[in-house]
Amino acid sequence: MQEKDKTRRKVLIGLTSALGLSGVPFAATPFIAAWNPSAKAKAAGAAVKLDVSKMQYGQQIQVAWRKQPVFIIRHTEESLAGLDLSLEKLADPNSDQILEPYKGLNQSRSKSPEYSVMSGVCTHLGCSPKYHPEVEPKPWDESWKGGFFCPCHGSMFDMVGRVYKGVPAPTNLVVPPHMFEGSILTIGEDKEL
Amino acid sequence: MNKTLINSRNFLSIFCILASALLLNNSMAAEGGPCKDYGECDNFKYSLNDIESLQRGASTYINYCYGCHSLQYSRWGRVATDLQIPEDIFFENLVFDKTIKPGDLMTGSMPAEESAKWFGVAPPDLTLVSRYKGDDWIYSYLRAYYEDASKQYGVNNLVYPGTAMPNVLMALQGNQRLICKDIPVIAQNGGEKRDELGNPVTKEKCGFLEVEEGTGQLNKEEFDSLIYDLTNFLVYVGEPSKATRERIGWYVVFYFLIFTALSSLLYREYHKDYNH
Amino acid sequence: MSEMAGKLFSWVNSRLPIVNTFERHLSKHPVPSKVNFWYLFGALAAVTLIIQIVSGIWLIMPYSNTEEQAFSSIEYIMRDVDYGWVIRYIHTTGASLFFAVVYLHMFRGLLYGSYQKPKELVWIFGCTIYLAMMAEGFLGYVLPYGQMSYWGAQVIISLFGAIPYIGESLELWVRGDYYISGITVSRFFALHVVALPLVLIALVFLHLVALHEVGAGNPEGVDIEEYLDDDGVPLDSVPFFPYKVLNALVAIGVFMTVFSIIMFFFPEGGGYFIEMANFQEANPLVTPEHIAPVWYYAPFYTMLRAIPDPLGGLIVMAAAVAIFFVVPWLDRSKVASIRYKGIFSKIALTMFGVSFLTLGYLGTVGVTEIRKTMSVICTIIYFAYFLLMPIYTKYESTKEVPKRL
Repeated sequence: MQEKDKTRRKVLIGLTSALGLSGVPFAATPFIAAWNPSAKAKAAGAAVKLDVSKMQYGQQIQVAWRKQPVFIIRHTEESLAGLDLSLEKLADPNSDQILEPYKGLNQSRSKSPEYSVMSGVCTHLGCSPKYHPEVEPKPWDESWKGGFFCPCHGSMFDMVGRVYKGVPAPTNLVVPPHMFEGSILTIGEDKEL
Repeated sequence: MNKTLINSRNFLSIFCILASALLLNNSMAAEGGPCKDYGECDNFKYSLNDIESLQRGASTYINYCYGCHSLQYSRWGRVATDLQIPEDIFFENLVFDKTIKPGDLMTGSMPAEESAKWFGVAPPDLTLVSRYKGDDWIYSYLRAYYEDASKQYGVNNLVYPGTAMPNVLMALQGNQRLICKDIPVIAQNGGEKRDELGNPVTKEKCGFLEVEEGTGQLNKEEFDSLIYDLTNFLVYVGEPSKATRERIGWYVVFYFLIFTALSSLLYREYHKDYNH
Repeated sequence: MSEMAGKLFSWVNSRLPIVNTFERHLSKHPVPSKVNFWYLFGALAAVTLIIQIVSGIWLIMPYSNTEEQAFSSIEYIMRDVDYGWVIRYIHTTGASLFFAVVYLHMFRGLLYGSYQKPKELVWIFGCTIYLAMMAEGFLGYVLPYGQMSYWGAQVIISLFGAIPYIGESLELWVRGDYYISGITVSRFFALHVVALPLVLIALVFLHLVALHEVGAGNPEGVDIEEYLDDDGVPLDSVPFFPYKVLNALVAIGVFMTVFSIIMFFFPEGGGYFIEMANFQEANPLVTPEHIAPVWYYAPFYTMLRAIPDPLGGLIVMAAAVAIFFVVPWLDRSKVASIRYKGIFSKIALTMFGVSFLTLGYLGTVGVTEIRKTMSVICTIIYFAYFLLMPIYTKYESTKEVPKRL
């Protein structure tokens, strides 16, 4: 076989395989994309709205957003004032280690100084922490200043969901995007974001 | 190789004779087309890239049809996005129930039992009407209402005789009637037939639709274009991915044509090895 | 590193015949050096099978096999699932093209005598694949639970009712309900997505193993094993790789072009691939005006309609498929290929092809008197082709087959 033919073959093989291979990602696209949340799942996971004006001070309520618990707490003035007292116990008081949507806006970590909005899923292994607002000695902490305690592996968080040092949970509870329109709280959507 | 050619030629010619016999047979059989008394359905050519037409169609649908006919597989937000209507404008002008969210299905505003009581049958969901009836049918049907005092709503339809649906668009279209006309008789040579005096010979024929002038808000062209937009919207809603499908299709076909060309070049190159 | 890999490979290879199998069935497998396009449909059928399996797996995920949701889950796939419409149209187009390719593949068999000794088993496995495909296609067509799914299944299941004595209870047993309900749909679903695909894959495997044992045929009907080179390789053969593979690649290119034209521009195939009535949810109280089977069953459906008695119709329809199995013993010709067979074989095959296509056309249109007569005539021609084969193949004069390709 002549040298010219050999090159021709090589070029053709190269071109054909390059074309064939370049088609693979396109052919795979529908099959990969079909696993994305469907329009139905997205509709079910749409933002939830609720009126928080009827909440009592110190009360915590739980709503489901995307079938996951979200905690809403209306803080008393005392508990907001007490937040700074246990700073040395916290692992990441300023939420520097996570992507905090409303960093530095309010002490409550939310868009409202009075309410905290946070995901009720422990950042360790996904259990739901319990709300213990009382300032009193607890089996897990002699000098408990109020906050969240996870029954699964004993992770502790303060009143606004910041994680304690030396517990299994690595980071603060996540704050979901939200907005307040008067007393109407929308979780899962923030027009300003 | 020669012999197979001859063989396939035989095959083809016999097939052609048979096929033409069948087609002849077909036209003689006259099965009664989908448009019934209307005759041939009017030809409808959708244009899914004409976003403005789709927007007008959506608006007509929601204002005149959605009260009774749901689009239960379609979602509000998807329609807004596909029709390039900003969501706030869409929801302000076209969504009357303020509790509706963009992801909700267009399940209609009338309970089925209620409507069955009113019309005798529950008005069907129309998400897929363009797919099971065809766009030609819809376009013809909506323009084929005529006055008929013997019917419950005083109207009947040539495409769907005895339809349970009143002519919702009558205020726009006006009073359409069935009339008879004198039409010229066609002579055997194909021209108009004339009598001894040279006057055209006419014959009365019935079944023509004519709108009483001045009774509708729209003239014929405007009304036809309204129905065009409405049908176009129903084609969209029957298969929202249709425009995308046809767009992507060109690339895919082009890709495989190139692939075929390259691989056949490669095959011919290797074919030389054993074919001297 | 490469030394390690080499060691690992030889360790595995001495326990699992990788190299041997690869050489024997792929890289060095000898195939006839001169074949025409008719010999490419087998490869295309294999490609389509893979396409159907992959798209099918992806359709199972969002599909719902309940009476309430089966129909709406199809619309869910078409609208709400990202690119769901692509996957569904791949599957519907693939179904029709699978049959098209297999029909052409089978016609090739009749054209060039691909069932003759020693290829009887290859042929029989092939016929069984076709039978399994017909069942698979039918079951799959019921799953969207549209009007055509319902009424098509109604007609087919009613066929069981034509069987004497046990018919009615058999019908009820197949449906598991008094009408074709969610119960029927979910058992058809299990058969369509698990049982029959397993059977199909097993049969395809056997079809290929048997084929590789006896060797592929050629349009001349020459036995290439007669003249071997010093290594025992047939002189008129080329290795499967790269020659046959490249040839198949061209065929795949053409096939995929056709595939994508249909899929992206005419997915309903003018109502032949997805029937219009199937965009309406099943309604056991309203029969659609015009019931027609999907095109690939149409010839057999016409035969069923041509016979006034349901049991007779069922028997004729079953016989029309079953008769393919015995073709190897009906053909008494000394030669395999139509090129060397006599004039009677040529006329018979032509008549058969035309009557098959006509039967197909008749199955998709309504019944009239003339059409009914035509269906009877075509059914007779269809069977005459097979039943007279022992006579015309034996007594017609054939041409001399060359020694070499």
